[in-house]
Amino acid sequence: MAQLILRRLLVAIPTIIIVSMLVFSLQKLLPGDPVLVMAGEERDPQVIEFLREKYHLNDPLPVQYGYWVAHVLQGDFGISLRTDTPVTTLVAQKLPVTIQLAIMAMIVAVVIGVPTGILSAVRKGTLVDYGANVVALSGLSIPNFWLGILLIFLVSVKLGWLPASGYVPPGEDLWLSIKTMLMPSFVLGTALAATLMRHTRSAMIGVLRSDYIRTARAKGLRQGKVVYKHALRNALVPIVTLLTLLFGELLGGAVLTEQIFTIPGFGKLVVDAVFTRDYAVVQGIVLCTAIGFIAMNLLADVLYILINPRLRGA
Amino acid sequence: MSGMESDPVLALSDFSLRFAPGKNLVDGVGFEVRAGETLCIVGESGCGKSVTALALMGLLPVPPADIVSGTALFEGRDLFRLSEAELSDLRGNRISMIFQEPMTSLNPAFTVGDQLTETVRRHRRLPAAEASAVALDMLKKVRIPAPEKRMTDYPHQMSGGMRQRVMIAMALANAPKLLIADEPTTALDVTIQAQILQLIAQLQEETGTAVIMITHDLGVVAEVADHVAVMYAGHVVEAGPVEAIFDDPQHPYTIGLMGAMPSLGRRSGKLATIRGTVPPIERMPDACRFMPRCPFAQNKCAEAVPPLAPVGDGVHRAACWYAPLEKHFAEVA
Repeated sequence: MAQLILRRLLVAIPTIIIVSMLVFSLQKLLPGDPVLVMAGEERDPQVIEFLREKYHLNDPLPVQYGYWVAHVLQGDFGISLRTDTPVTTLVAQKLPVTIQLAIMAMIVAVVIGVPTGILSAVRKGTLVDYGANVVALSGLSIPNFWLGILLIFLVSVKLGWLPASGYVPPGEDLWLSIKTMLMPSFVLGTALAATLMRHTRSAMIGVLRSDYIRTARAKGLRQGKVVYKHALRNALVPIVTLLTLLFGELLGGAVLTEQIFTIPGFGKLVVDAVFTRDYAVVQGIVLCTAIGFIAMNLLADVLYILINPRLRGA
Repeated sequence: MSGMESDPVLALSDFSLRFAPGKNLVDGVGFEVRAGETLCIVGESGCGKSVTALALMGLLPVPPADIVSGTALFEGRDLFRLSEAELSDLRGNRISMIFQEPMTSLNPAFTVGDQLTETVRRHRRLPAAEASAVALDMLKKVRIPAPEKRMTDYPHQMSGGMRQRVMIAMALANAPKLLIADEPTTALDVTIQAQILQLIAQLQEETGTAVIMITHDLGVVAEVADHVAVMYAGHVVEAGPVEAIFDDPQHPYTIGLMGAMPSLGRRSGKLATIRGTVPPIERMPDACRFMPRCPFAQNKCAEAVPPLAPVGDGVHRAACWYAPLEKHFAEVA
């Protein structure tokens, strides 16, 4: 088991190297020259030359990459050209916000998506199934911003139950923090719940048809045990795959939702950085997101092994 | 054959089932099986033998399945009138079933021991350790080598034959009165087949369990059956003691089946086949269902369904208007 995880970790290293190369070179391929932006209106050739030297922009690309990696490994992603703060500081500010939003949204998605998926698989072809599908489809087709605005209007403005926007760190006031994040995570979570419900349903339908489910029934096991022990355990693999992928995606930030609820997360940071050609910030965020994704994949691999004993020997 | 006078463990009568409005897929089927006795239900795929077994277990989803008629008396109760809760109390306890596909019949996510123990605990109020001891004992009974180690193994670590042994252990763990075995050896190697059949026979002898063995393999029938019911297209066309069926088959379909069975030793001529194929259910005649393929068919055969009527001694029965054939067709021959 430990050996397997170690092997997966080793496999992840080249992936991270390739991602870092892509992250580094992509910004070089982008049009526009940040030095010109920094040099200001006058564009003094001496200033420009000085800046190019300072940021090693005259060196060959592999050398520049080397410098960059050396810095990144020390936790130094460079300085945001726009705000003049270290990228590490920016990321450290936004990352917890994004992670909290992602976790809460995933909880919403799982709590809604998995049970309805199971129910609709067990009651396949009945009114319950059709009903769940209709709800799921509406969940998919209602845009996040619309649901967000609607919720703000209803829950915050009309009823005054929850704060309309903003962010409170959980360390400051956990309860208030959860309350402010509730609506945005609900908005994000319901959209994911629909996808999750569909996948859970199809995975469960496939498993419920299998011979070992018939065996479980032939043993006299009650429906609950058949469904939640024997079937769900085997349907978990595709569900876990989807969950980790969705979570990885959430780690990249949720631009629209963050915008509506004015949450200081990754999404807003990355959009601002892209529009102002703040390369260092873009690089930092993309690399963080990519590593987050790889970590989620690693987690998925570990979970597969826990779920499916057949993989343990491999 | 334990005496005919004992009450049957299971008495199925007039069982009809369909999946869609129209003709019955299984039509008026009945049979009995007694303690310690093996009844073989023989027929080709699609004749309704497996569906009948699943219906007895209450494992057929209703709908789409529609039980049109029938009673299945087991321990004084009609299985078709029981609630799902009552049925689930019987399943794996008083009636057990083993299936054709040992490779996929065990849950890949749980250990063999866990799945066995689960069956024991479902029906007997036993502490975990005792249930586990029963499970281990069952693994020993089905002669699995190194049973202690196998308890913690997962199904994928075992061969098909071993998995079928585990299935048998699971089915017999609560000492059922009736075991339904649906082609338990079809998916196995010939040598393993013989071992599994022998194992079932031996355990049956020890426990007095009644066995319904569903098969299309006449070799299996010859080896294990006390009684045989031959099914064709949802009808029992012939039933009786195994000797009678093999030595003196009366229904043209049974005769055809015997002719289609390859045998060792000197071959005389080509292997006989039954001409034609089973018609689809919607084109099934409302008379003798074998009539379109029967070499002896007469006008009467197209008029009504022949009843399963006694031939000779009365235990041997055939559903043919012209049984025994040699009497009716003596002048033709």
